[in-house]
Amino acid sequence: MASVEKIYRLISSMKTGLVLLGLIGLMSAIGTGFRPNTFFQTSLFKLMLLLLFLNMGLCTLNQLIRCMKRSSKSWGKNRLRQAGLLLLHGGVVLILVGGTVNSYFGHSGELRIVEGNKVDVARVIPTEKPVLLRLDAFKIEFNADGSPSQYYSHVSILEGNKAKGNYRISVNHPLNYGGIKAYQQSFGYLVKVRGESATGEKVEKSLHEGEFLEIPGTERTVKVYKYIPNFAPNYGMDSKTLRPDNPRIVFSVYENGKLLGVGAAPWGKRIKIDNRIYVTFKGVQPFTVLKVKSDPGLPLAAAGGVMLVTGVCLAQCLAPVGKRGKQSASSERKLEPVGGIMDGLQ
Amino acid sequence: MTSFNPVFVYIALILYASASVCYFAGSKNRGVVRTAFVLSTAGFVFNLLALVNRAILTGRLPLANGCEFLLSFTWITVLMYLIYETRSKKKSAGGAVMLIATLLLLSVETLMSGQLDDVSPLLPALKSPWLTVHVLTAAAAYSGFTLAAGLALVQLRSTGLLPGEDMIYRIVAIAFAMLSLSIVLGAVWAEQAWGSYWSWDPKETWALITWIIYALYLHLHRQNGWKGKKASIMVIAGFVLVLFTFFGVNYLLSGLHSYALNPAMQTWSAQTS
Repeated sequence: MASVEKIYRLISSMKTGLVLLGLIGLMSAIGTGFRPNTFFQTSLFKLMLLLLFLNMGLCTLNQLIRCMKRSSKSWGKNRLRQAGLLLLHGGVVLILVGGTVNSYFGHSGELRIVEGNKVDVARVIPTEKPVLLRLDAFKIEFNADGSPSQYYSHVSILEGNKAKGNYRISVNHPLNYGGIKAYQQSFGYLVKVRGESATGEKVEKSLHEGEFLEIPGTERTVKVYKYIPNFAPNYGMDSKTLRPDNPRIVFSVYENGKLLGVGAAPWGKRIKIDNRIYVTFKGVQPFTVLKVKSDPGLPLAAAGGVMLVTGVCLAQCLAPVGKRGKQSASSERKLEPVGGIMDGLQ
Repeated sequence: MTSFNPVFVYIALILYASASVCYFAGSKNRGVVRTAFVLSTAGFVFNLLALVNRAILTGRLPLANGCEFLLSFTWITVLMYLIYETRSKKKSAGGAVMLIATLLLLSVETLMSGQLDDVSPLLPALKSPWLTVHVLTAAAAYSGFTLAAGLALVQLRSTGLLPGEDMIYRIVAIAFAMLSLSIVLGAVWAEQAWGSYWSWDPKETWALITWIIYALYLHLHRQNGWKGKKASIMVIAGFVLVLFTFFGVNYLLSGLHSYALNPAMQTWSAQTS
């Protein structure tokens, strides 16, 4: 029994909490320098967070019990400060719980939707009934200098065949539909290209950058290398702006895997790539990339954040140091009976 | 006003540097220290003019890029120091604080002078009301930690009983509250803009590490009686972390916050393949 109590005291002590905080700080510094993409997902780091959660959870609980026992006393500055400390520590605990709930029960992923097409959200998030997102239009709003001002995905939500509404998603303005959130993350273009064979046969495709068009009757293939919305010679392969002021398609022609040549074509120009074989770039079809997620832990983390901020403001701004400044260092403890949340656990 | 007048920054820099020299040189001469206060106040006014110039030029609060943050950070630091000196009548930290202010403005001139004239519109990700409160609270927190570090440097040079200890604690406590607020507000914004309130982005991680070291200081100071040199060293170490969180992360580690360094950089970009 005594050993259980010892372990409990060890786990819930302030010293342990401070050591854990220090270790987490140290490990984070090392992790972000050497393995920024994977370190924070390792079991070791998760174990540290779990131990911190246990330590702070137990501390907060102990102090809450103490506070409730003394609840008959009037609310003075010190009591408010103590409440602040409780809120602060409880807030950190709730944030950790929220993060844990998200890591086990949350879902997140990317949906790439071409204009006019629809995609089932269930590809990323399990849903009870099919929820489809259709991209009605993707627009970029530009500043006077040609730089992007905002990116808009105009989408419709369909449940089965029923349209549930039209929404506009933009950066900083995500869609929130029944716990499913969709964020404007990125975008791109498919290039509409037409090939004409010597016999007059036509083949039309929408291709991603890097894909090839094969035309019947020739060994030669055309690779869509890059779409440049605002081509300017001194910018090389980079677009001067994202605004389509001078669009060009950079393409290359291959024969049996051997590069024959490259070129930059405007829309609609018929380019001869072989004897009576032509290719024409007709335009682009935009697609949007949405980050779709559900996070059941978010309300907990949000509540934790509010508690933390309220608590830290109460606790630190009401810290009664002004009076203490006039006292000698040795007399401070006698004058300041109510300290931090973990006073009783040292 | 169609361009930025760099003279405001130069004059503020020279005034802060002169004030620092006067504070250090005239510790036993009232007249020199009074001159240092006047120089600091004049530098503060020119620092403000630089901020107003940027605000008029861009049509928004000067809080969006690295140089604007540094100008605001320096200005709030000096504001805090002037209030501290006026209220406490203590001038011993003036030399250190004004030296830090000088170095901060020097870094604006040497590392990001190109940003002073930059009038590029805000990136879509930065067009949010959260920008102002997140950055402003961060600047206030950094300024508080700077003032505390200046006072701690003086404490380190002192011997015997250290009367400024409680003032340092108080300043760190308020700056810690500001840093907490900034981190939480940043998390709310990140949830809206990136779809994740915490991504272990280098800036987030180092802000958390800074938060941890000051949390340790506050606990150790109150609960374990960490006073004197140990406490002062910890406050200065915290300030070094603050500087690393701004300069080190911006220049050495790339991440979601990279547009703080280069506003033209499009972290939210078109697919390239």
